[in-house]
Amino acid sequence: MERRVSTVISDNISRLRTEALERIAAAPSMEAVDAVRVEALGRKGALAQFSKDFGKLTPEERAEAGKALNAAKQEIEEAIERRRLGFESVALAARLEAEWVDLTLPAPGTRPGSLHPVTQIQQEIEDLFLSLGFTVLDGPEVETEYHNFDALNIPPDHPARDMQDTFWLDGGLLLRTHTSPVQVRGMEQFRPPLRMIAPGRVFRNEEVDASHEHTFYQLEGMMIDRDVSVAHLLYFMKILLTSVFRREVTVRLRPGYFPFVEPGFELDIHCLICGGAGCPVCKQSGWVELLPCGLVHPNVLRLSGIDPEQWGGFAFGLGLTRLAMMRYGIDDIRLLQSGDLRFLKQF
Amino acid sequence: MKFSYNWIRELVDGLDAGPRELARLITMKTAECEGVEEAGAHLDAVSEARLLEVEPIANSHNRKVLLDTARYGRRTVVCGATNARPGLRSVYVPAGTGLGGRRIGTAVIDGVESDGMLASGAELGIDRDQAGIIELDGPFDPRPDFLIDVDNKSLTHRPDLWGHLGMAREVAAIFGRPLRDPADMSLLEDGPSPVSVDIADRSLCPRYNALVFENVTVRPSPVWLRWRLEALGLNPINNIVDVTNYIMAEMAQPMHAFDADKLQGNTIFVRPARPGEHAAALNGENYALGEANLVIADAAGPIAVAGVIGGSASAIQPASRRIVLESATFQAASVRRTSSQLRLRTDASIRFEKSQDPANTVRALARAIDLLHQVSPGIRVAGGPAGDRAAPPSLPPIELPLSWLEQKLGKSLGSGQVRDILEALGFRVSPASAGVLAVTVPSWRATKDITGKHDLVEEIGRIVGYDAIEPKAPVIAVAPPPSQPRRELLRSLRSMAAAQGFTEIYNYSFVNEEMIARFGFDPSAHLRVLNPIAAGQTLLRTSLLPGLFRNLELNSRNYSSFRIFEIGREIHPLAPGELPDEIPHLSAAVVSRDDTADGLFELKRLAECLAPGCTIEPAEARSFEHPRRAAFVISRGEAIGRLFELHPSLGLDGRAAMLDVDLSRWPEATARNVKYQPLRRYPTSAFDLSVIVGSRTPSMTIQNLLASFTGPHLVQIEYLRQFVVAEGSLSLSFRITVGAPDRTLQSEEIPAIRSRVIEGMRGLGYELRV
Ligand SMILES: [Zn+2]
Repeated sequence: MERRVSTVISDNISRLRTEALERIAAAPSMEAVDAVRVEALGRKGALAQFSKDFGKLTPEERAEAGKALNAAKQEIEEAIERRRLGFESVALAARLEAEWVDLTLPAPGTRPGSLHPVTQIQQEIEDLFLSLGFTVLDGPEVETEYHNFDALNIPPDHPARDMQDTFWLDGGLLLRTHTSPVQVRGMEQFRPPLRMIAPGRVFRNEEVDASHEHTFYQLEGMMIDRDVSVAHLLYFMKILLTSVFRREVTVRLRPGYFPFVEPGFELDIHCLICGGAGCPVCKQSGWVELLPCGLVHPNVLRLSGIDPEQWGGFAFGLGLTRLAMMRYGIDDIRLLQSGDLRFLKQF
Repeated sequence: MKFSYNWIRELVDGLDAGPRELARLITMKTAECEGVEEAGAHLDAVSEARLLEVEPIANSHNRKVLLDTARYGRRTVVCGATNARPGLRSVYVPAGTGLGGRRIGTAVIDGVESDGMLASGAELGIDRDQAGIIELDGPFDPRPDFLIDVDNKSLTHRPDLWGHLGMAREVAAIFGRPLRDPADMSLLEDGPSPVSVDIADRSLCPRYNALVFENVTVRPSPVWLRWRLEALGLNPINNIVDVTNYIMAEMAQPMHAFDADKLQGNTIFVRPARPGEHAAALNGENYALGEANLVIADAAGPIAVAGVIGGSASAIQPASRRIVLESATFQAASVRRTSSQLRLRTDASIRFEKSQDPANTVRALARAIDLLHQVSPGIRVAGGPAGDRAAPPSLPPIELPLSWLEQKLGKSLGSGQVRDILEALGFRVSPASAGVLAVTVPSWRATKDITGKHDLVEEIGRIVGYDAIEPKAPVIAVAPPPSQPRRELLRSLRSMAAAQGFTEIYNYSFVNEEMIARFGFDPSAHLRVLNPIAAGQTLLRTSLLPGLFRNLELNSRNYSSFRIFEIGREIHPLAPGELPDEIPHLSAAVVSRDDTADGLFELKRLAECLAPGCTIEPAEARSFEHPRRAAFVISRGEAIGRLFELHPSLGLDGRAAMLDVDLSRWPEATARNVKYQPLRRYPTSAFDLSVIVGSRTPSMTIQNLLASFTGPHLVQIEYLRQFVVAEGSLSLSFRITVGAPDRTLQSEEIPAIRSRVIEGMRGLGYELRV
């Protein structure tokens, strides 16, 4: 029985399709897949040849054969695409696998350095007081006798001059023994109301040992306003200490003599080591002397041209060096100015 | 200053607080106590004893002594003291007693069992006599005591607290107990004194009183008096001198006793020393005096340096029979100046420089009459006190408005409470007007300490207790603080330097001659420290580099490479007496063992980060700089610092690159001056050129030439690389980008620019690789 042409064409398409799909599936590389594509789908490929025989078909048969041809073409193309994606992902995986790096190696370039521990504490406290509306002032390290003593109610021959062993310089100048002269310079520069702090380096002519330095750091603070009381001073000191020690600290005020304040206080905090129970650090007292403070002496205001009947203020002095030592548990004050990187790199 | 707990208890009736509680309250309300120590604990164990038999021991200098003790019955001890003799009354220390850090035991000495010991005055801690065992002619009654050590600095403003009576007054006020006044003024007579006083300048000597005593017996003080002085560290000497020291320790009034028979004439002069006068003092020194020094003199010359020390010629001797007792006050500043000039600080000068109370002098004499009668039986007072006895002028009362007081303390108080506190402290209080008290200051607080109502705030605040004041936020206007651009700059520089790998260090402001000699700095250009303690402190630094160099030496021992920086002040003297110029500097260093110039470029990058837009221009090297590795840091046309490598002759291991910049010339807040440029709308083009140059031609020179030949269409020029072409010549490659703000450059314009650059460079004799 004679087979119809259309049946023959359709069988051939089907065979070619099957064969192409098998070869694509078995191709070992993308190059082999591409060869199948050229043989099957190219302009001179097998499927193109079949369409030449379409002229022998009836229109119905032609439509049917065309449909079969297109279906085979699409199926082969899809198979090729799948293989291509497969090969690419294998290649990518292989490349990525080869790209292993040792991330535990050190990063190139320089490690960051660090700021001095006193700088760090100073900046923290500056930020706190800036947020409370205080300005930060600077004063000279070399001072006049007037600013360091006289203007602070410590006239010549006053025994309080013994409280601070002074480095004297040529020409009657001296190295400031405290940051308090900046109070005076602040009052000279700004009129009240005034809120200021002044961190800086101060000098005492003392023998140096593990707990004494001739050069150390203080932070002076002052507020001048119409109505300033001991209660206000206590308020600011509480804020300061809570911020510095990052927890509530118990404080006490007791009388302390400083000629530039009246009344003058020593502010003690509960020993941070023993919590007030008594230990060698606090000499069993449970308290550690932290900062001198008081209401600004009317003579000091008067000497700076401020009327003490109209204005009043408080002042305090914080030992930044002491604070840094307390915070980091530094047991030898000399390390701070040793320039020794074995120490400084720890901060 | 040490205070005897027993003494304070004698002066405050009914005080029942223990010594440590007392010290705590004194700290909280008066002055800082630094500690409490027990003194003479052994005195509870010892016993009076009579020596019954003293027998020699064969082949020994010791003797066997049989004792009859008051508390322990008969005891036998071995004793080496030569003054041990039958019938002597002495003090027995039983076995088991702690004495001077050791424990007395029972031991066999030279074959004899010794049970306890006989002790000397020094061993018992009641005087400094070590010559033999103590000899008693009265009862042995000293009791253990506690010494409260008060920080002298916290007594600077309180002349009255340099004696037990002043502290007892504080304690009485704190506990609300009555104070006992040891001075009995009725003992004073009114008659004329055998001596007269001539004061040259009342401002230097507000008060000088003297009292003459006759029929004096000079001998050791009774044990109780010696113990009291010795416990406080005052050396017992004889009954007369000991009484003066006792009154000083009790009433804060320094006194001095002269042998009246050694004085020339009957007038005591208080006058400035005459030029060339000397004082032979009790301490064996001979002091040269001048007009600035006040002296006490008789007709022949100085007999004491006023307020500081007595003279040796008129000192009390065992044979003295008549004495003149001085009780005076001197101007604080004058005593202080003389004491510093003579380098002699005495118990007297320390008190006088606090401004002692003139009203106290006669009270002290009254007290002396009482005590001298106790210690020198048969003594007689000759006449009344010499010198002015009128009460010193008192200050007008201070008006204290209660509302003002409450405002200062931030706490409300009752007027009765305020009044009670002030009166307990010796102030007199009366109402001035509604809500205002008139407060009269007692003489012992009026010399300097209390001058106005602000001082009364402290008196009331401390006795009420500052712990009774609640912290309170002030009501103040909200306003931003004035901006401080220089401080902000320093802060950002610090952070940037640290982020770039540099560790911040702090160096001293001091240098010495040796440190600056390495750098060739002139010592005379430095401010000099007049009283340095250590050798490293003679000069103030005019550069941060010598200090930094020491850091490099130190850290080179531990690190092969490191980076440090400091922000600190150079101190340059100006005219004498004028404040010096303090110039903030940033100095940084990179140390490396590598034989490269990488450190210099790290510092250049640091400079560029810190001062964007700065440039580096070669500079003549200074003596401590590598002669071919020194440059200026230029910002806005001004040299603001230097970048250099340290000269190898300084001897550092490895290479040290250093940067030193003057922060007072630092461009401030660069970002704030930026003016926005619109983004380029038309494309740019780039071409590369390589120029062959001699090996020491700065690339910046070539870059500037290329830029100028490129002309107005230059957008940017970048250095790309260099390589050695031949010995002594380099190829420097640059990428030049050109464009126009308002159009696209035409295709023929770009080659034209390139040709112009090439021709221009060739015209200057440069070879180009194109
Ligand atoms: Zn503690």
